[in-house]
Amino acid sequence: VIVTLHLIVLALYGLGTALALAPFLGLPPSPRPLNIALPCAGAALHVVAISQLTPVGLGPALSMLALCLVLLQLASERLLRGSAVALLAGPLATALVGLALLSGLTPGGSAEAAGSRNAWFILHVALSVSGVALMALAFIAAALYLLQFRELKARRFGQVFQLFPPLERLDQLNRFALLVGFPTLTLGVLLALGYGARFSGGLHVAKAQIVWGMFTWVVLGWAVWVRVVRHWAGRRAAFASIAGFSAVLLVYVALKLAQPGVERFL
Amino acid sequence: VTDHSGVGIKVLGVNHRTAPLEVRERFAHGAHEVPGALARVMAAGAQGGVLLSTCNRTEFYLVTEEEPAFDTVWSLLGERLTATPTGGVREYGYVVRDREAVRHLYRVSAGLDSMILGESQIQGQVREAWEISRAQAGPVLHRLFQTALHVGSRVRTETGLGTGTASAASAGVAVAGKIFGDLAGRSALILGAGDMAELAATCLSDEGVKITLVANRTQERARAIAERLGGRAVSLEDAWAYFATTDIALCSTAAPHAVVTWERVGHVIAGRGGRPLCILDLAVPRDVDPAVAQLENVFLYDVDDLQTVAAQATARRRDEVPAAERIVEEEADHFWAWYGGLGVVPAIKEFRTRMDALRAAELERAMRQLGHLSAEDRAHVEQFSQALLSKFLHQPTVALKAAAEEGRGYGLLEALRRLFGMEPPA
Repeated sequence: VIVTLHLIVLALYGLGTALALAPFLGLPPSPRPLNIALPCAGAALHVVAISQLTPVGLGPALSMLALCLVLLQLASERLLRGSAVALLAGPLATALVGLALLSGLTPGGSAEAAGSRNAWFILHVALSVSGVALMALAFIAAALYLLQFRELKARRFGQVFQLFPPLERLDQLNRFALLVGFPTLTLGVLLALGYGARFSGGLHVAKAQIVWGMFTWVVLGWAVWVRVVRHWAGRRAAFASIAGFSAVLLVYVALKLAQPGVERFL
Repeated sequence: VTDHSGVGIKVLGVNHRTAPLEVRERFAHGAHEVPGALARVMAAGAQGGVLLSTCNRTEFYLVTEEEPAFDTVWSLLGERLTATPTGGVREYGYVVRDREAVRHLYRVSAGLDSMILGESQIQGQVREAWEISRAQAGPVLHRLFQTALHVGSRVRTETGLGTGTASAASAGVAVAGKIFGDLAGRSALILGAGDMAELAATCLSDEGVKITLVANRTQERARAIAERLGGRAVSLEDAWAYFATTDIALCSTAAPHAVVTWERVGHVIAGRGGRPLCILDLAVPRDVDPAVAQLENVFLYDVDDLQTVAAQATARRRDEVPAAERIVEEEADHFWAWYGGLGVVPAIKEFRTRMDALRAAELERAMRQLGHLSAEDRAHVEQFSQALLSKFLHQPTVALKAAAEEGRGYGLLEALRRLFGMEPPA
C-alpha cells in the first residue's frame, strides 16, 4: 500500500511539475486551479502514505522531505500569488519521491522501529526535515530571485519576467524561509539531544549524522546571521543561500558515499 | 505600373518598425523645429505639409509631386544623423501614397499602427502635429487630419481597441511592480514636467507610489504637477542627490541629450547599499546614460523596453483589430470620395461657365461685325461656337472626372486653376 500510494504521489507530483514547466517549453499555460489541485492531491495522498511509514531510514526521510517541500510550495504559492516555486520544488519533490521508492520504504531494525514510535523522535524527525525543507525553499527562492534579477537587468520580458514573482517578494520568501528554518532545525536538533538523553541512555547516532547535522545547523545559522545581523539582502543574500544549501547537499552526498546504506538517512 | 508622379497625398517617414530608437530619437523634431522643416519641404514644391513627430515616428504628410520634395525630406532627415547607413537615410524610411496614405494616417490615429496597439496618446500627438503645422497644412491635409481625429475617436468608442492599460507609462508601473512587488508606499522622483511625465507620474501615484519630487528646468510646470501629486518641485541640479533614496526615478524631460549621467548620479547610487533603483526613461532622446545601468541594483528601462512590455499586454486588444480596421476602411472610402471629387464638379462647372462666357463674348463681338447675317445664319454660327466649345471641353472634363474617380482629381484641379487663372475654393 505504501509503495502504491507513493507511486500515485510520484505521478501526481510529476504531472504537476510538467504543468508548471509547460509555459517555459512554449506550451499554453494550464489553468491555475489545476496547477494547485495536482500537488494538493499528491500531498494529501502523501500524508496518508507517510502516516503508515516508520520514520527511520533513507527512504522515509526522503519521502518526508518531499512532502514538506510540496507543502511549502503550496503555502508559498499563496504568498507569491504564482506557481514559480513549483518550477524547482516540483522536480525536486518528484525526484525525492522517486529516490525514496528506489531506496525502499520499509523501516530498518526492529529496535529502531520501536523507538521511532516515540513522540519526541517523531517530532525530532518532523522538525529536522522541515528545517532542511525550509532551507531548500530558501535556495529555491534565491535561485528564482537570481533568474528574475538577470532577466530584469537584461531587459528581457519573456516567460521568466511574466511568470516569476517580483524580486522583493522572492527576497522576502528567502528571508522568511531562513528565519523560520533555523529555529525549526535548532528545535529538531535539541529534540534529538533530549530524546537521546531521556530514552536511549545517551546519543547512539553515527558520527556522520552528527557531522552533517551540525554542519547544516551552522550553515543555516550563518545564512540567518548574514541576513539579520549583516543586513544582506537581494543578490548577495541569494548567493549566500545557494552556496549554503549547495554545501549542505555536497557534504551529505560525500558522507553518504563514505557510508553507503539505506537503513539510516546517513 | 502606377504613376506616382502627379500631385497627391504622400507620407514619408520612419517609425518603430523601420528604425531603432537611437535613429528615431535623432529624427524626432521638437515643436519649434516643425515650421522650419516644413518650410524647406514647401520650398521644394510641396503644396501642403504636416509633420508628425513622436517617439515612435517622424512622418511628413505632404500634398506634393514626388520630386524634389522627397529628396528634401530625406536630406532633411539625413542631416540629423551622425553616420548615414550605406543605403542612405531612405533605408530607415518608407513612402505611402494616395489612398494608402490616408489609410495610414487613420490607422496611426486609431492606434492600429502604434507599438502599443490601441494606445490613446497618439491621438493627442496627431492633433498636436496638425495644430503646429496648421499654417502649412493646406485644405487637403487640414481635412485629412480633421477626419483622422474623428476616426481615432470612432475606433476608441465603437471598439474595445482602447480598453485596458497598455501604454508605456502603465508598462513602467508593471516593470516597477516586478522589482518591488507592492508599489504602495514606494517613493518616486520625476524628472521632467511634460505630458508624458505627468501621465506616468499619475499612473505611479494611482498605484500608491509617493511622488516625492518633480524636477524640471522650468519650475512653474514642475510645481503644478508636484502640487497635484503631493510632491515638491526642485530644479534638475537639485535632483541628483535624491537618487540615493528614491525607489523609482521617472525621466521624461525634453532635453536633447542624456541628463542622468554616470558623473551626476553614479556616486550617489553607489551609496544606496544595494537597494534596488528602478529608472524609467520615457524620453526620446533618452534622458539616462545607459552606463548608469551598469551599477548593480539599477534597473533601467527606456521607451523601447516599456513598449515591449506593454505590447505583451495588448494581446487581447488584437481581437478588436478587425472591427477597427473596418472603421478605418469605411472612413478612408469617405475621404477618398471627397478627395477624388474634391471640387471637381464645381470646378468643371466654373470652368465651363467661364469658357462659355468667353465664347458668348467673342460671339457677340463677331456678330457685331456680321450684322448682314440672317437670323438663321446667326443661329448656325452660335450653334457652331457651342459645338466647338463642347469639343474643346470634352477631353479635359473626361480627364478630370477620371482623375477624380482615381483619387487624383486634386492635382489636376490645381493645374486647371493655375492654367486658367481660376481662384481656389474658399
